Amino acid sequence: MATVKDFKGDSSTWCPGCGDYSVMAALQKAAVNLGLEPHEIVTVTGIGCSSKISEYMRTYGFHTLHGRSLPVAQGAKMANPNLKVIAAGGDGDGYGIGLGHFNHAVRRNIDITYLVMDNQIYGLTKGQTSPRSNHGFVTKTTQKGNKEYPVDPLSTAISNGCTFVAQAFSGDVKGLTEIIEKALEHKGFSLVNIFSPCVTFNKINTYDFFREHLVKVDEPFHTREEAIQIIKQQQGLLTGILFVEEREDFQEQLGIDWNMLAVKEGSMDEGQLRSFETLFK
Amino acid sequence: MIKSIEWKVGGQQGEGVDSTGEIFAKTLFRYGYYVTSYKQFMSRIKGGHTNYKIRATQERTNYAGEQLNILLCLDQETLQVNEHELADGAVVIMEGDTSVRAEKHYTIAAFPLKKLATELGNALAKNMIALGISGALIGLPKEEFFLFIEDVFEKKGEQVILSNKAAVEKGYELVAQHLQHLVKPLEHVQKQDRLYISGNEATAFGSFMAGCRFLSAYPITPASEIMEWLSAQLPKVGGTVMQVEDEIAGITFAIGAAYAGARAMTSTSGPGISLKTEALGLAGMSETPIVIVDSQRSGPSTGLPTKHEQSDLQHMLYGTHGEIPRIVLYPSTIEDAFYIAAEAFNLAETYQCPVFVALDLVLSMNKTTVPPFDSTRVPITRGKLVTEEEAKSYGEHIFKRYRFTDDGISPRVLPGTAGGVHTASSNEHGEDGYITEDPEIRTQIMRKRMEKIKTAAIQNPYYSKNEDADVILVGMGSTRGIIEEALDVFEREGVRVGHVQIQQLHPLPIDRIAPILTGKKVISIENNYEGQLLNWLKQHLPIHSNAHKITQYDGNPFVLSRVIQEVRELI
Repeated sequence: MATVKDFKGDSSTWCPGCGDYSVMAALQKAAVNLGLEPHEIVTVTGIGCSSKISEYMRTYGFHTLHGRSLPVAQGAKMANPNLKVIAAGGDGDGYGIGLGHFNHAVRRNIDITYLVMDNQIYGLTKGQTSPRSNHGFVTKTTQKGNKEYPVDPLSTAISNGCTFVAQAFSGDVKGLTEIIEKALEHKGFSLVNIFSPCVTFNKINTYDFFREHLVKVDEPFHTREEAIQIIKQQQGLLTGILFVEEREDFQEQLGIDWNMLAVKEGSMDEGQLRSFETLFK
Repeated sequence: MIKSIEWKVGGQQGEGVDSTGEIFAKTLFRYGYYVTSYKQFMSRIKGGHTNYKIRATQERTNYAGEQLNILLCLDQETLQVNEHELADGAVVIMEGDTSVRAEKHYTIAAFPLKKLATELGNALAKNMIALGISGALIGLPKEEFFLFIEDVFEKKGEQVILSNKAAVEKGYELVAQHLQHLVKPLEHVQKQDRLYISGNEATAFGSFMAGCRFLSAYPITPASEIMEWLSAQLPKVGGTVMQVEDEIAGITFAIGAAYAGARAMTSTSGPGISLKTEALGLAGMSETPIVIVDSQRSGPSTGLPTKHEQSDLQHMLYGTHGEIPRIVLYPSTIEDAFYIAAEAFNLAETYQCPVFVALDLVLSMNKTTVPPFDSTRVPITRGKLVTEEEAKSYGEHIFKRYRFTDDGISPRVLPGTAGGVHTASSNEHGEDGYITEDPEIRTQIMRKRMEKIKTAAIQNPYYSKNEDADVILVGMGSTRGIIEEALDVFEREGVRVGHVQIQQLHPLPIDRIAPILTGKKVISIENNYEGQLLNWLKQHLPIHSNAHKITQYDGNPFVLSRVIQEVRELI
């Protein structure tokens, strides 16, 4: 049985106090609790502070391009359904440049877990507005206040058919661990949006801010409509598993006998070649 | 008795031009002839002139010709657009009151095809009557059509088969009554075990046979057929095609699948390659083996979406920021598309880098006759892919995925393998995959990555003929057919000209082509403005003082007469 120690990779360069430490700790703990081994997990990340989690965690990792963790992760899962595939990154990565992929991943429902470390600011590029920054938020690129309104990932995911939608907070590692465990166990695409404060650049959405404003949801909402309505009422400041639907995942729907990795060295299959050649006669 | 025939059907898009052409081509193919086709179409669903050209010969050729013996007009525009291609004594078949009249150097035979088809109970069968006329004009036994009709319409039932046969029969009757004096029988030949296949299909089939089990792509002309063919066939062997949200997802899904161990590819055209270039860098940097098919069309930007060009060469050779290892292959025949697609997967896995298979619209969309493929010619090799035992034997907490080795190629381990845990990275990294900015490691690992592909080679990196000639015509991709024909013409005139068609563009097989091209008059024949192939050759070979180019970028492939004339002016 692997322990948390087995999941420790490269030493991190995150700022002291960064919310992402808790996300990593929770993910490592969740993996241990589920009895997973490091080699059974693939962590695919985009670009940004939080995306470095694929190096700091000791699992198979793939640190990819800005906004592209989801398609790479889905491709990996398609090739080998036995892998436990996690995509991870920040709100800029996932809801900015990656928003298109996000919506399609949600509606496609390939069995992967997507962890978004949402700090409502661009940290690695040193403090510009992010797609999750509040209206009126002042940054180096929005000196007179942000004129845009934030992306709502929860409602977006729910309305596009996501089968597992949750939100968590770095300040509550226990709650976060439980939610990640449930997400990893969910068959289909699972989203966990995690408020993970940037202690260096975001002076508004701090640990204290979230402790004061977040409302815990004990049971998932029964319908998508209800979930969306309450998320709006609470301005998205909820934690817990918000919506779950049991539905066949993408690969189950294809219903094919999976054999992608079975390519053997040697000659081409003569029988197969001749039988498919008849299509051209 | 004639030994070859050039035939074309033209009409408005949506009128059945494609299916009519396909039936005639396949009938001639099954009769034992070697068939090469050329399709012309516009970027719209219905309306606009389109045509399907066939050249049937006894000897193998890679060029669809430009001297029509029979032109089948499904609309008025067809004659106008294609008249210049009519050979002396050609027969033009068209709709109209029954009449046979001589025009310039050809004959127009008009029949009320629509009315006759309606009388037979199936207005849709007018094209079949015209096909009957075409077949009768070359003395093709009508049973050849019947066999094909039975095959094609089997699922549609007896009634459809009978009405189509009746329509073909009607065509034969019309020829017997009105055109008997124009009949030129095609010599009977031995039936052969061969295939009739397009470049896109051959590329897809070659990939399939090489063990490709995953394709992710976004629809785009002229590459979509690759995705369509594999969509139908891959699930039969446990693989799948994903039509994903955009071109970026097309390549990144494939990278994810390849990283996890599947032989994976993406197929697209120039505009798609533009979008994929960032992820191309990821594949190079992370040393992930993927195959990218670029079926080129006219650019730049959206350009001429359904027209031919060979102008993405520099894009494939240099595309992406920074420098990455890459291999660029460009089959010059439809047959080679099969083998080179298969070799692409071996090279991708052996050298752990992206491999381009370049096609162009003419090579992609047209069909030709090829011999059955050889299952032993390209054995499957997966490169340095380590087993669990081997991975464990290294005894590493973090497997050194980017290990320095003598040949620069590191052992690769697939996710899921105990003992191989590591991180692959888009950032610069050390042997263990972890991010580093250390200048020394950066220099070493950059060199390892870039130099590992030096030895990459396919079986036929180029095709050549008359290597010792003083004048060498060079080309890439589909221009092979026209250059071969040009050589034949020059040979008949007693002018000795050589030919080199490059099939491996990067790394360029310099050691082998330098002796052929150095000190000669080199004339490149390319479908682009800049002479991209010639520029690439000039970078590697001392041919500057006597190098020339013949280019065409109007959206259409070269015609033989123009190539002959321009080469003649240069030599």
